[in-house]
Amino acid sequence: MIEVTHLSKEFRLADRQPTFAGSFRQLFKPRYRELKAVDDISFALEKGEFVGYLGPNGAGKSTTIKMLTGLLVPTSGTMIVDGMIPWKQRTKYVAGIGAVFGQRSSLWWDLPVSDSLEVLQSLYNVPAARFRSNLEEFRKLLELDEFIHAPVRSLSLGQRMRAELCAALLHDPKILFLDEPTIGLDVVAKERIRRFVQHINRERETTVILTTHDLSDIERLCKRVIILDHGHILYDGMLQALIDRFEGEHLIRLTYSSREGGGIFDGLRLAQDDGIQAVYAFDHRNLSVPEALSRLQQQITIVDFELIRPSVEETIRHIYEEKLLLTPPDKA
Amino acid sequence: MRRSLKLYFTLISVQIRSQMEYRVSFFMDLLSTMLLNGSYFLALALILERFGNIAGWTLGDMAFIAGLSEMGFSIMDMLFSGFDPDSFSQNVRLGKFDQMLLRPVNISLQVFSSKFLIRRLGRFLEGAIIFGVGMGLAGIHWTLAKVLYLPIVLISIVAGMGALFVMGGTLIFWTVQPVEVVNIVTYGGNELMSYPMNIYPRWIQNVFTYLIPLVFLNYLPALYFLDKPGVLHFAPVFSFAAPFAAALMLFLAFRFWSFGLRHYQSTGT
Repeated sequence: MIEVTHLSKEFRLADRQPTFAGSFRQLFKPRYRELKAVDDISFALEKGEFVGYLGPNGAGKSTTIKMLTGLLVPTSGTMIVDGMIPWKQRTKYVAGIGAVFGQRSSLWWDLPVSDSLEVLQSLYNVPAARFRSNLEEFRKLLELDEFIHAPVRSLSLGQRMRAELCAALLHDPKILFLDEPTIGLDVVAKERIRRFVQHINRERETTVILTTHDLSDIERLCKRVIILDHGHILYDGMLQALIDRFEGEHLIRLTYSSREGGGIFDGLRLAQDDGIQAVYAFDHRNLSVPEALSRLQQQITIVDFELIRPSVEETIRHIYEEKLLLTPPDKA
Repeated sequence: MRRSLKLYFTLISVQIRSQMEYRVSFFMDLLSTMLLNGSYFLALALILERFGNIAGWTLGDMAFIAGLSEMGFSIMDMLFSGFDPDSFSQNVRLGKFDQMLLRPVNISLQVFSSKFLIRRLGRFLEGAIIFGVGMGLAGIHWTLAKVLYLPIVLISIVAGMGALFVMGGTLIFWTVQPVEVVNIVTYGGNELMSYPMNIYPRWIQNVFTYLIPLVFLNYLPALYFLDKPGVLHFAPVFSFAAPFAAALMLFLAFRFWSFGLRHYQSTGT
């Protein structure tokens, strides 16, 4: 469905001068420096995949998305999506994709949602019957009825995102690009949007590329992730494999009534202890949870315990911060 | 072509419906642009009242040429406001232009129909009144050829000035922010065109003949309608050059537009 090979994009940035004289000079004799926003990346996506595209700010995520949606022409490399080269056959290509950018709107501010959708129908040339059946389905799934006749400007952020999703899918796109679709939403609204996107991906086999900073979106939706940093792909593979490899220590927090001995156990580190509660950290790759508990019980009478796993968010942040993936990329 | 026209009207109707959401502001605007621009001409009329004529042009002649350019410019502004550097710059900065690129419709058509200023009808009405007054006062000898040529001249002014808007809008691909110089050429050009070219110094005449050929759109055709001898160094036949000048300007403008678009797609913002 999507095939990207040795894709690069360089920008020429004006070198900003800090002094007044410098900025004056820049006006007449500009100096530039090259920025490699995307540096020789390759990946392939199958039809129906749901992939998370991750990376810190400035990693080259949005530059890649702009190229994939035909907005930007790459400096070098090739990209074949749905049998087409996005920027060469723009109008034909974009008819087959849908995009929701959380910070932007594809609807008309002063028009009712329903009118906006009808305008999009004619822009995308959607057959009337198809339009009706899609709208029927999305109205139910996204619960649009409560605000479909209200002008877009009066919608809440959550309502607007639901309308945007409907707008992006009315023409049956084969690929859906989502950029921060849940930004600024509350938990309930987020969940509604995730459930809908998952439904579309499963039922319609729509390929979905999701970029987001909200890693709970990724954890909930994506099996596969591509992690980008400084224009390079750091990781491309299953999310689970990444977690298995880099997940930090698991914790057992236990309440105890009595303890004998020194409280030192093989493979378990005492992280915290106040006489009633203690927290032990262990590497789950070397020690299973039942084994850890049975070791603890040799000396401690446990009243209650709780197992704490690091969140995906912590794991990924850990990867960025420690630059754990800078060793040769490991295809999972 | 039929689909393009249908889409054009669909998108324009969106604009009109949106503007009708703010009806009071709409009518206030209609009225105020009419009065504001009308008052400029009123001031000129009062001056002419005292002096009789300027460089051989009477009040009627002046009203004819000013009304004509005012009508042309207001229609142009209504139709081409999507390319107006100020609003186009905003569309680029807010990402609305990118949204247009995501739709399977010709991009020029989308920009063209991204704004439709019906409130410019006020200015058109004002221009039409001045033009009517001019026609009455100037005592034009109407012939069939003149009647037929008049709408062609009007369309040429719309197209030629529209070309300047397209070029000004194209610059946004490099500058992102609107450049003030462009307004001097478009709005200033319109002001300039409202008066007979022969009152200006030679270098201004040259600029608006060879660089920005506005002289062909309004002044030279007006000489024909008013049966005036040419004061500039143009043969009478150049009075009929308006549609050719406009077509050339529009052609070059859209060539420049395509070039700018390619630049935008290779750099982004």
